[in-house]
Amino acid sequence: MTNTFAVCRREFASFFLTPIGYVIVGMFAAISGIAFVLSLFTFAKMSVEPTAYGFTTAPDFAETLLSPYLVFCGMLVMFLTPLITMRLLAEEKHRGTMELLLTWPLRDRDIIFGKFFAALGILITMMLVIAVHMALIGSITPFEPAVLLFGLLTVLLMGSAFISLGLFVSSVTRNQITSGTITFGISLLLYVVGNLGEKMPTANPAPPGWPEILRTFIGHAYALLRGLAMELSVDAHAGEMALGIVQPRDIAYYLLFTAFFLFLTFRAFESRNWRT
Amino acid sequence: MIEVQGLTKYFGSIAALQDATFSIEAGEIVGFLGPNGAGKSTAMRILTGFFPASRGEARIDGYEVHENPLEVKRRVGYLPENVPLYDEMTVKGFLTYVARMKGVARTQQAEELDRVMEKCGLRDMGKRTLHQLSKGYRQRVGIAQALTGSPPVLILDEPTVGLDPGQIVDIRSMIKELGGDHTVLLSTHILPEVSMVCDRVIIISRGHIVAQDTMEQLTAAGGKTLEQAFMDAVASDRSSGTEETQ
Repeated sequence: MTNTFAVCRREFASFFLTPIGYVIVGMFAAISGIAFVLSLFTFAKMSVEPTAYGFTTAPDFAETLLSPYLVFCGMLVMFLTPLITMRLLAEEKHRGTMELLLTWPLRDRDIIFGKFFAALGILITMMLVIAVHMALIGSITPFEPAVLLFGLLTVLLMGSAFISLGLFVSSVTRNQITSGTITFGISLLLYVVGNLGEKMPTANPAPPGWPEILRTFIGHAYALLRGLAMELSVDAHAGEMALGIVQPRDIAYYLLFTAFFLFLTFRAFESRNWRT
Repeated sequence: MIEVQGLTKYFGSIAALQDATFSIEAGEIVGFLGPNGAGKSTAMRILTGFFPASRGEARIDGYEVHENPLEVKRRVGYLPENVPLYDEMTVKGFLTYVARMKGVARTQQAEELDRVMEKCGLRDMGKRTLHQLSKGYRQRVGIAQALTGSPPVLILDEPTVGLDPGQIVDIRSMIKELGGDHTVLLSTHILPEVSMVCDRVIIISRGHIVAQDTMEQLTAAGGKTLEQAFMDAVASDRSSGTEETQ
């Protein structure tokens, strides 16, 4: 435990000993700030003349401002996490310090969790920017704290999912650019696949003339594929949760996502015992 | 202290180390001598638990390296060949981190740091960033890192490479001082270094151990110099190797 903490502390500090930490947090602050101002303007316009936007009464604050803004922050995290995670293990391997880590009296879990929590720490630093925006809103209008709490939780859970993915990719690459690119590619793929799932028709694609047993089989396989495409998407589980509607399956999705890639990272570490 | 039995390591189909068997008593300073690519680093990396052997077993203080990695790693200080360091950290920051990693008690960390920095001639370098350091000072930080926590076994992969003559003398006398309290296994391809520092030599060539003996035995037999003894040992391996292929 103390070792995990020590690894985490060094990793977190090294983000701010090099420019990368400032760059990431700075970019996040700039982009999320602009997004915040934009959504605030839109909300103000909607409140002045709700009928022009198809509302009969003043639009719900959480639904039209808070939730979209937080989901946007989650997507922004998706774009920025590869920059956080690409160096975690790839850099250690590239400059050889992995040899130190692996010959010091550490367990694999000290290294993996230490790195994971350090990256999560950067994410939480980024989220402090969101907290500033929320405090600004809070000073203008009161809102349900649960909405804010679960909104932030959404960003944190999405972030931890992307971080675990990036950590795994970093554990199997030596080059930071490769590591970042693959992480970004997979994240983006998981994002667009959801849009594809929504567009897929529900009907069984097998021609009606085919034998019944084959049709049933294809029908099930297709439904499974479509379900996967819709459910695997990283943002599909964020929208409702950011509104404060918390369903166990949404939280479970992100936790399982994180656990799965952490598990793969452990296996990647162990592979040094049998790979030649 | 170190017992190695039939240690073999394959990288793909290439055997980097074949059937290495040797043992080192507590307090000895033993030199691993061999041409480049002979398998010195491979043997050391197995002993330190960086990667496992393909076959055979290695014990440090009675613990098998692959079965009890933590126990072994607590007893071994290791200087890797290219001295990897966290370049963005300061000397002191890095060594504090190392002390923490090696489980030095919080109250003793400052004392331990002073001790290793004093020993490695880093006393005035604490605030310097690692990437600014010259090769010689990097090497010292690497050795300080290995000494931190005072492990009974020290495994040093080419500790004097890249140093200037003055520094080489310093490091060698430091290693000699370490003998007795510590068991030291160091690798080198500089012949005179072995005769100056080590009690015993293990000569390794193309993955095979071709000779192991005390300095006196190796050179005194037939009044040979260490160079001759080394060349003979390596040559005997070469000729037996060609016979095998024929």
